[in-house]
Amino acid sequence: MIKIESITIKEFRGIRNLTLNFKGKNFAICGPNGTGKSGVVDALEFVLTGNISRLSGEGRGEVSLKQHAPHVDKRNDPAKALVSATVIIPSLKKTYTVERSAKTPSMIKVTPSDQAATEIFATVQEHPEIVLSRRELIRYVLATPGKRNEEIQALLHLDQIEDVRAGLQKIANSMEKQLKPFETAATSATENLARALAISELSKEYILSTANAQRTILGLPFLADFTTTTSLKDGMSVPAQTKPQTIPKAQAVTDIRAAREILKEISGKLTESLVADVLADLNLLAADKAVVEGVTRQHFYTFGLNFIEAEVCPFCDNEWDVEALRTHVRSKLEHLKELSTKRKAVEKKLLPLITLLRKAETEINLLIRYAAMPKPAIEMRTAQEYVTRCNGSINLLEAFLPLADTIAILRELTDVPQTVEDAISRLEKEVAVLPDPSKQDAALEFLTIAQERLDVWRESRRKEETARAQAQLARRVSDIYASTSDKVLTGLYDDVQKDFAALYTAINHTDEKNFAAKLVPSMGKLGFDVDFYGRGFFPPGAYHSEGHQDGMGLCLYLALMRHIEGAHFTFAVLDDVLMSVDTGHRREVCVLLKKEFPNTQFITTTHDPIWMRHMKTEGLIGSQGAVQFRTWNVDSGPTQWDDRDVWTEINDYLAKNDVRSAAALLRHYLEYTSAELCHRLRCHVEFRGDAQYQLGELLPPATSRLRKLYATAKEAANSWNQKDLIAEISERDNDFSKLAQLSQVEQWQVNAAVHFNSWDNLTKNDFLPVAEAFRKLLAGFACPDCSEFFRVSPDRDTAETIRCECGKTNINLRKKT
Amino acid sequence: MANPVCPKDTADIPAQVFEAFLTSLKTAGISDDLVTRFRNTLLEERAFSEVSLKKAVFGERPTP
Repeated sequence: MIKIESITIKEFRGIRNLTLNFKGKNFAICGPNGTGKSGVVDALEFVLTGNISRLSGEGRGEVSLKQHAPHVDKRNDPAKALVSATVIIPSLKKTYTVERSAKTPSMIKVTPSDQAATEIFATVQEHPEIVLSRRELIRYVLATPGKRNEEIQALLHLDQIEDVRAGLQKIANSMEKQLKPFETAATSATENLARALAISELSKEYILSTANAQRTILGLPFLADFTTTTSLKDGMSVPAQTKPQTIPKAQAVTDIRAAREILKEISGKLTESLVADVLADLNLLAADKAVVEGVTRQHFYTFGLNFIEAEVCPFCDNEWDVEALRTHVRSKLEHLKELSTKRKAVEKKLLPLITLLRKAETEINLLIRYAAMPKPAIEMRTAQEYVTRCNGSINLLEAFLPLADTIAILRELTDVPQTVEDAISRLEKEVAVLPDPSKQDAALEFLTIAQERLDVWRESRRKEETARAQAQLARRVSDIYASTSDKVLTGLYDDVQKDFAALYTAINHTDEKNFAAKLVPSMGKLGFDVDFYGRGFFPPGAYHSEGHQDGMGLCLYLALMRHIEGAHFTFAVLDDVLMSVDTGHRREVCVLLKKEFPNTQFITTTHDPIWMRHMKTEGLIGSQGAVQFRTWNVDSGPTQWDDRDVWTEINDYLAKNDVRSAAALLRHYLEYTSAELCHRLRCHVEFRGDAQYQLGELLPPATSRLRKLYATAKEAANSWNQKDLIAEISERDNDFSKLAQLSQVEQWQVNAAVHFNSWDNLTKNDFLPVAEAFRKLLAGFACPDCSEFFRVSPDRDTAETIRCECGKTNINLRKKT
Repeated sequence: MANPVCPKDTADIPAQVFEAFLTSLKTAGISDDLVTRFRNTLLEERAFSEVSLKKAVFGERPTP
């Protein structure tokens, strides 16, 4: 999508004022720990996304972007903390300037402002993954399958897919849960109807046979069929309104018996044991305050997720970042997953108890209706209160929270008040003294009650069927979604794993040329196993070294980015990644990045100068594609090994008569440059395994090397009979010899008096010419036009030329054969 | 190295999954109304809350 030409950072993090020119190409920022490299990474992320992950990730507590992004001395003036970048958008073939301040991180100023660029920067803003740190890289590799899935989903922007999966699954679960009461009601209605018809099983034949027997007594026509609209009372005259209703004796006796049975079941041993089991689980949950709070929070977060849809908070109307808030809430829910599992297990145990209470409610309601029939009605207040209690208990048990209420309900669940039994006994007595009805009255009562219960049964079945159809539809949709998304994601991960394995093999072809990997998505998890030398597939952290794991992290990231962004993967910041990768493999990484991602601009940070040199040697970065930070302090921020700045700084020290500081700076600078010169000129230096070279071990060989190269060049020119060139090289050689003599650098090994160790003891006037001599000597190693140090090309095998960056110096070293 | 398998342009993976889901719904014989509602919810409104999804599954039909 973008490439960065340059970045200017002002009063931001540890940086006071810094401009880096990337020129839209790969760039490395090198420097010891604490010299400000990460400040540049933060600035890049900030100007592109308006965020700094390091300040907003988990465990950052009270650290905030607004307060802590500005330089510590500007913490009360965030408007002064500014980052601007010149950005190329290849697809638009245009260059833009973007700017953000820590005062208003979400506002990006794009110049020139146009719709196409605004849209592209909005897209870039949604891709914080353009910055990859070692911490993040290793997360993809070593995380648990659930966590890895989250991380990779975030990288691939798959959270929307997961939202829908979780949402549909929740709807299906909820619809199945809601089906339960309808099923219970339908079962009760079936039992009540069967009881009214005095049959053991509801079948068309039994119903017709029983109903027709009663209809015959009343002289009503025979019912030939039983359909969904058949009335058992068909043809029966409506009883006169004035006639008082009487309790249907036979049915009431049966219903009283059924009610007593259910109450007996409630207070029975089996229920007591069920209750004790659930109570034990609930008491364990309730004993831990964190759990109680967690369960409450889980309910709150789950409920709250539904309201994160609009761009503003429904309470305060302040704008929020919908995706960021969703991710935040989801991460909280993820932490409460274990609680959710425990809750579900307890809820499952509660179901039979809820069903029992529903049955009791239905059965006692029937008795209450009988009690209301005579005038005056039979006193059933306590039974009515018990029904109300059952209803309240069902609601509280279904709600589950607060836990204290659920526990209180369960503790009393098996207690059936004696007053309920008393009320039933009163009804029973009244029923017992009722005269037995005549055969016709009994048939009339039978058909009336049977029809009433048939109506209730039909309605409850209709509701049950509707609820079941909805639950089935919800489950079907959820299953289709789950299988489809798994299929698409499996295809996606299959592509990514192939690309990942190919990239990883490219950097490890010497020892793992048959490497393979498996990314296996399954129900919100992502398994990741890698081949270990043909011995089988194991988690990456099982047997592979830390360096190999770093390599895997980078390759997985690159494969994922290539898949997401495709041709738009044009920019990435690799912050201190691959520190555990060894030298040999780093070279392969450079080749990989250069060859496989030629259109991607990589900004890399490292504290290892050798790693930076690998990048240069392998051509990943150009000779000007790096900056080396040398120090950092809170007042001035990072300082670079910049030639002009160094000499200015040395002069500043000398102006203050601070020879010691000037000498120390000169020595450090010469150490840095002489290492660079030895590398560029392919010097023969006594090898040190710890790479801790002193100035005296590097600068004299570099000086001798350039003179020897000039000698070789003269011989070569002579073999080609290039007299003009011989003269030109001789002139260069003479000039350089004079500079070397002036600096006395070649005398260090024989004349301790001029050795750099004695610089500290010089006076300002003695040291001034020394500094000037070395400034000139270093200039002698560089092209007068581009000021870049010479280098020998190629960097391995037979030396062919001495070259500079601009190409004006190109001296042949090979003789005519 | 094997040719990388990757899209030419930026991949909107969620949209790919949603499109595949809509096709699977049709193949499974789920009603056109439901498919249309899901298309609006997932691809046009980009609304993913439980409330929105429930509306997409059941329409405005009340639960029993």
